[in-house]
Amino acid sequence: MVSSYLKALFDKVNQGPLAYVFILVHMIAGTFLVYTQPRSNLAFLVLITSFLSLYFFRADARFKLIVAAIMALVIIPIIGVRNIFYLEVIFQISVFAALALGLNIVVGFAGLLDLGYVAFYAVGAYLWAFFGSQQFYVLHFAPGTQPAGLPFLLPGDAFYMFLLVGVVIAGLTGILLGLPVLRLKGDYLAIVTLGFGEVIRVLANNLDKPLNITNGPQGITPIQRPTMPEFAVDWFNTIFSPLIGHPISRADMYNLMFYILALMVIIVIIFVTRRLDDSKLGRAWTAVREDETAAIAQGIPLVRMKLTAFAVGASFAGVMGVLLAASRTFISPESFTFMQSIGVLSMVILGGSGSIPGVILGAATVTILNLQVLQGFSLYLNDLRQSDAVIPVINFAWKNLSTQLDPAKYQKLLFGLILILMMIFRPAGLIPAKRRKRDVAREETK
Amino acid sequence: MALLEIANITKTFGGLKAISDVTFSLEKGRIVSIIGPNGAGKTSFFNTLTGIYKPDSGSITFNGKSLLGLRPDQIAACGIARTFQNIRLFPDMTVIENIMVGMHIHFKQSALAILFRSPAFKKEEREAEQKALRLMKYVGLHNVENELAKNLPYGAQRRLEIARALAADPQLLLLDEPAAGMNPQETEDIIQLFRNIRDKMGITILLIEHDMRVVMNISEDICVMDYGVKIAQGTPAEIRNNSRVIEAYLGRGAVAGQHEEKMQ
Amino acid sequence: MKRFLRYINVYELVRPIGQLLVFSVGSAAAMSAIVVALALVLDRSAVGVHLMEKLNVTVLTYTLTNLPQVVIDGLTIGFVYAAIALGYTMVYGVLQFINFAHSEIFAVGAFVGVELLIFLQSAGVLAGASLFMAYAYLLLAILLGMLAAGGLAVAVERIAYRPLRGASRLVPLISAIGVSFLLQDVIRLVEGLTSGQFNRIMPTFGNFDDRIIFGKLVLGASKLTLGISIKSIIVIVVAVLMLVGLNYLVNATRVGKAIRAVAQDMPTASLMGINVNRIISLTFLVGGLLGGAAGVLYALKFTRIDPFIGFFPGLKAFTAAVLGGIGNMTGALLGGIILGLLETFAGSYMGTFTMGAAGSEYKDIFAFSILILVLIFRPQGLMGKNVGQKA
Repeated sequence: MVSSYLKALFDKVNQGPLAYVFILVHMIAGTFLVYTQPRSNLAFLVLITSFLSLYFFRADARFKLIVAAIMALVIIPIIGVRNIFYLEVIFQISVFAALALGLNIVVGFAGLLDLGYVAFYAVGAYLWAFFGSQQFYVLHFAPGTQPAGLPFLLPGDAFYMFLLVGVVIAGLTGILLGLPVLRLKGDYLAIVTLGFGEVIRVLANNLDKPLNITNGPQGITPIQRPTMPEFAVDWFNTIFSPLIGHPISRADMYNLMFYILALMVIIVIIFVTRRLDDSKLGRAWTAVREDETAAIAQGIPLVRMKLTAFAVGASFAGVMGVLLAASRTFISPESFTFMQSIGVLSMVILGGSGSIPGVILGAATVTILNLQVLQGFSLYLNDLRQSDAVIPVINFAWKNLSTQLDPAKYQKLLFGLILILMMIFRPAGLIPAKRRKRDVAREETK
Repeated sequence: MALLEIANITKTFGGLKAISDVTFSLEKGRIVSIIGPNGAGKTSFFNTLTGIYKPDSGSITFNGKSLLGLRPDQIAACGIARTFQNIRLFPDMTVIENIMVGMHIHFKQSALAILFRSPAFKKEEREAEQKALRLMKYVGLHNVENELAKNLPYGAQRRLEIARALAADPQLLLLDEPAAGMNPQETEDIIQLFRNIRDKMGITILLIEHDMRVVMNISEDICVMDYGVKIAQGTPAEIRNNSRVIEAYLGRGAVAGQHEEKMQ
Repeated sequence: MKRFLRYINVYELVRPIGQLLVFSVGSAAAMSAIVVALALVLDRSAVGVHLMEKLNVTVLTYTLTNLPQVVIDGLTIGFVYAAIALGYTMVYGVLQFINFAHSEIFAVGAFVGVELLIFLQSAGVLAGASLFMAYAYLLLAILLGMLAAGGLAVAVERIAYRPLRGASRLVPLISAIGVSFLLQDVIRLVEGLTSGQFNRIMPTFGNFDDRIIFGKLVLGASKLTLGISIKSIIVIVVAVLMLVGLNYLVNATRVGKAIRAVAQDMPTASLMGINVNRIISLTFLVGGLLGGAAGVLYALKFTRIDPFIGFFPGLKAFTAAVLGGIGNMTGALLGGIILGLLETFAGSYMGTFTMGAAGSEYKDIFAFSILILVLIFRPQGLMGKNVGQKA
């Protein structure tokens, strides 16, 4: 009842100039709020949700593109530099959005439940970590025993080339992993991919002997970044520092650079995904997902289709892995756990399996929940612990609450709840995937 | 040479002989029906033919080429299309997309063409859409191209499945109970459709049917199965009077052509 | 007495014990033979030289001295895996669904049992308890763990799986993954709120840590002590009792027949008057009871538990179920024993046999490798049958 009333209200508003007004108001309000209150989570949420307004309200495509570009290239860098935490959040959203888009191809398009997706992410990350660091010269040293002053194998600028190398290597890994297992039924495939994910993690943890390839649990650091031309920092400062309030440092500039890079990668991924979706390949994937027996009767080669989905999805994760390694200059096996795979899965499921805007929304929502909402609870709880307050009904003093109870660490609870609730109440996701309505001009009949 | 030559096919599941030593040959351009009581092995026969089951023994030759050991998608690429006993459309795809999937084998788009939307790609997609529309009209579906397949009424779904099978430009069309659940008018229409398919498109049709009106009306040849064995083959007139056939159906109180026997 | 015996299907009591005996002895013997053969070969290679330098023993001696303990440990953990595997295989047999959350059912059982014993310890009851009471308390812990786990399993089915029964296969599986994650953090939450500690330790009491020594052998310079700890005996005995009990339930009672009917053909079973929903709940209950008991036994054997102990044993038990043939109870037994032995053998010997290149950390992914290999080369498992698909 309520939802249909709201929907009717929305439809009334969502037309003509009113829609444009809404979008602009939302965007400007968000910007203003964050600019004046750099530490307010609520302000940040208002700003981020303006992207949703941009998506849902009806407006000219070029207008939307321009607004999105201004948001992404002007507004976010400014507020991101004023509060570096926000830039970090947005960067993480970008990374996870790319991962979610990749998993979307495997799970959402081809219908293959891959529980070890993070393995491809790890492959990309360790690829650059190995070649872009000193690890090559550390091969014969146990972790922590290497001498100082070793050279780096490749210059930092090789990073750009490795973005492509990451795509290829991760894609090949996808094919390799997929070949033996894609014949399996859905449930078994899920468990086996889970196993693969764990195998990769254990390998990352243990391939420090006999040859020290991954440096074990300590991870690999320092990893090189591409060089930053000095003029870029100056240029940015000339234009933006009055708006920001202070000139920015090289470190800040690097953060911005990787944010822009992540954005570019996502745009390419979206481009590729949409093109693939609207082709014989996309249709074949959907057919395989909906009914394998019928699909195969149309001449669709099952294993080859599944392998392609696997490889494409893997390559997206691989390129993001390379990006991650360079941006953090440090990676360790801890970033590539089963929980991370399920985290990406929950983003896809929450947003809408098979839907591109859906999974991006899912990635943003889960990341914000993780980084901000849970953190917020943590901080609030800590404040309560410092105070003399008591829980009302049972008269339990907050300060007696164990310090182990830290909401920020309860991601599994979050992911679990998302998965269960979405499956029961809205399996299609927040923004369900929709089939394209074709505009077929009819030929004259003879 | 016959279009389809099947010799001594046997398929066993555990202790059950689903198909037992069946020999069958199909000439090009004919409409042949396979009938028999439920559980006679008719759908298993189709499944073996299309590669879903692997026969334990025997040979299958299509256009002179052996189909043994081929995967179902490879067999489809040889020119055999089928519909299913329980309709297997792609429920959440639109009508036109369902038919376009049927054309999968004939699409030539390369990965690069797809990524860069080359003119060749666009042309191929457009032509596919037009062909799908033509097929829709051919089977009697109008103005539903963007409708989700699951939202169509039952009779329309059956016709869509046939359109999808035709989209592959097959030489042989296998129809598994295509008239099931249809009212008399729809049944009439579909009989006419089959005739058109054979005459205008030159496609050979092999169908499994329980509806004797359809079978007697349209078949040039009927093959009768019972308990996995082929018990008779001949013209409709011959089959109607065949004592073994009558015996197989005895107990359901029916003589073909006089009562409806619709097993659902 | 004779009348009582007529009511009991003695065959179904004896058969599983016989099977367990054959499986255990057979697998242990086979693996021991392989390992000894390997040792003989490796003695002539670099590995033998290396070991001689480091520990002054031949690979063969090293192998043989450790063998009895390895076999016993392998069987112990194997029976635990078998008990957990039965939970997976029963649910899969009835619903064709992998209950991903079963690993957390196992963990909850462990926690409930351990918390009870910790409570008893803090109440001062355990310290001075007689031997009889010690066993009684242990039994109480096991029973409580079973009940908690069983109840939780039924609740999970009702809340998270039943509403999804009509949907495609992936939907309840995703929900199950969600439940698994949720439960892990719920355990953490509850532990955080109550005791403030996530790692709990099983209290020591009774004579569980004692070892019974059978005898000593002398091999060259090493001494070989053949003994078994009481803990292991308890784990094996309780596990065997449960396995026999479950087998009897499924194969020799009326309700067991109903379960088998539902597993084979749900619609027909329901047409025969079987309340399918109740049978499904019962299946989850029984699986949960077994998993819970396995949890307490695991805690007894390994002493330390944390909220994430379900993950690896759960996955390994599932591997065991697949190895034996999913849906097949005998298969779960066989798979559990074989996997337990394989894993323990690998963990003990892999490090030495490879001169430290592949350490015992690889033990955990050993099970995954087996899973992948089985699913690729023999997906129906050792005892299962291939079921075709109707078009």
